[in-house]
Amino acid sequence: MDAQALQTIVGVIDKRMTRQVKQYLDICARCAICKDACHQYVGTDDLTYLPARRAELIRQVYKKYFDSAGRLVPALYEARDPDDALLDELYTSCYACTGCRRCMYYCPFSIDTQQIVAIGKAMLIAVGRGQEMLGQLADAALFKGENVEMFRDVLVSGFKDIEAEVREITGDPEATIPVDKQGADILYVALAGAHSIRPAAVIFHEAGVDWTISLFEAANYGYFFGDPEKARLIAKRFMDEAKRLGVKEVVVPECGHAYRVAEIFYEAWAKEALPFKVSHILEVVDRLIKQGRITVEKGRIEGRVTYHDPCQIARNGGIYEQPRDVVRALTDDFVDLIPNRAEQWCCGGGGGIVAIDELRDVRLKSGSKKVEQLKASGASVLACPCENCRLQIEDLNEMHGLGLQVRQVIDLVVEAMPLPRSASAS
Amino acid sequence: METYLQITSIWGVYLTAFVFFAGMGVRIYQWATTPRSPVPFGMFPKPATRGGRIAAMLRDTFVAPHSAQIEPRMWTFAMLFHLAALAAFVGHLRLVQEYPVLPKLLGTEGMNSFAAWAGGIAGTLMMVAVLYWIGRRTFGAFKNLSVPEDYLLLGLLLGVIVMGNHMRFFGDVHAAEYRAWFQSLLLFRPHIPEEIMTSNVGWSLGTHMLFVDLFLMYFPFSKLVHAVGAFATNLTRSE
Ligand code: SF4
Ligand code: SF4
Repeated sequence: MDAQALQTIVGVIDKRMTRQVKQYLDICARCAICKDACHQYVGTDDLTYLPARRAELIRQVYKKYFDSAGRLVPALYEARDPDDALLDELYTSCYACTGCRRCMYYCPFSIDTQQIVAIGKAMLIAVGRGQEMLGQLADAALFKGENVEMFRDVLVSGFKDIEAEVREITGDPEATIPVDKQGADILYVALAGAHSIRPAAVIFHEAGVDWTISLFEAANYGYFFGDPEKARLIAKRFMDEAKRLGVKEVVVPECGHAYRVAEIFYEAWAKEALPFKVSHILEVVDRLIKQGRITVEKGRIEGRVTYHDPCQIARNGGIYEQPRDVVRALTDDFVDLIPNRAEQWCCGGGGGIVAIDELRDVRLKSGSKKVEQLKASGASVLACPCENCRLQIEDLNEMHGLGLQVRQVIDLVVEAMPLPRSASAS
Repeated sequence: METYLQITSIWGVYLTAFVFFAGMGVRIYQWATTPRSPVPFGMFPKPATRGGRIAAMLRDTFVAPHSAQIEPRMWTFAMLFHLAALAAFVGHLRLVQEYPVLPKLLGTEGMNSFAAWAGGIAGTLMMVAVLYWIGRRTFGAFKNLSVPEDYLLLGLLLGVIVMGNHMRFFGDVHAAEYRAWFQSLLLFRPHIPEEIMTSNVGWSLGTHMLFVDLFLMYFPFSKLVHAVGAFATNLTRSE
């Protein structure tokens, strides 16, 4: 490690340090109570993935450069320079962490390992060791933000194709996917791909919602990459769009981190209060069902249905009951996974890990608890409102032969709506 | 003997008091002067009111119900240790001032045997908990998580407890003599009473205090600052 790189890393720790993280680094008792909370440690038995070990790597550097006792007697804390070995392990442990914060839930001091890992990612990025794929995806999103006109025609023609399908499903030749609609009530920020737009468009159409679609996607690879500035700019793309259109509500799709970024982080990052509210699509769907604005019928979905709480909307976002209420409106045969809600196991697919090839092995191993839970539930349908969770659970489904249908919740909703072609809506 | 006790139980105590309070002061100052993250770190469900948040923080800090759920055995030993340490602390307050009511009720003999029992139980529980921790750390699958700091602290703690227990179980010196010594420290007219010096536990007091001095001097520079920090971080949980 040359002096320049060392200085860069130390500078980044200094710049990113917050009171909370400093306290976390200073007080962790290395009691390892967090070990059984982390699906990756439980699934692999590998110390690299023990939450406090991830933090320990950062603590070793912190102790050496930011703590008088660590400077005086480094051996006592195994304080050291961030050499190649440290950075290699840091890369694996930080980019594998799904940011589920289940460790924080069980830690006697509520230590938020995800926030410590965020400093680890910043250290890696500072010396050019950030995860490449996530970085590229983040830059692509930023490029699109700066050059949206270049993409407009392709996007709009894509929306037209989906619109045709929506017309077929609803049997209404007037059904539309409104683009750039000034003064609409809702701006729906979907994911890349028709699957997250079509069912939402059907629901909005049937409920008579005044909505418009965003030209941007809600997914935020800047956040996964570990660069809060990029993350902010990626979210800013649709926040600015919402302001320009004067909507009352920004609705994010079935994507966990998109909700947390938009609802929990964005205002603090941007240092401004948003003039509209931010909702998850299932909060809206729950509202529409309860207001009687859409009709759903029980009996259309066959088999026992269970529900997975995506960490970023549940433990980290506070949405527990609305999706359950939606699912319960669709079936009488609903069963919760055990444990659930705040104690729900992370599926293992969060934090961008599904996009990282070299971590595929740990990712699949880390799903062992989710597989146990799913088997024990006896369900044949999983309602799962997060794209990354679905990708991971699809893999687990195949690997373990669970025979499960892994579905978006809005797909199930459309399936339960009495529509001319609801069965093939998804 | 006299020099040993002078170093560990008189001048060492003053030095320790200074290092401990100054060290904790510096640590808290460092925390207070580092800007908070503008982003809330709280997790859900969150209490809605400030009172609710403080109640949850106190519950999480003093009872740690979630830790109990996930590793009941570790939680049990941790609880035993901290409660016994609290009892020992309360017991040691007799060094400052004899309890107001209890000795009158129990009589001198009764008070001595009550103290022997209470102190003996607390001391034994603490020792058992520390031995469990050493074993868990040394033989657990995650043993490589530990760093020398962890063992140093456990070693010092074990020294404090073993020597304390030695005085408790084998000594024939009672609270009054120790109080005379400790009050002399508080009044800055330090001296060690003859009774202690000539007893069979003079050297255990010296060694007990040696470990106490080292333990408390190291405290502010170690992970033990969780004694203060845990209140802040458990409050962050609901921000
Ligand atoms: S449970 Fe908390 S205090 Fe214990 S090792 Fe894990 S992060 Fe550190
Ligand atoms: S946030 Fe989740 S993945 Fe990361 S260390 Fe904690 S439990 Fe493991």
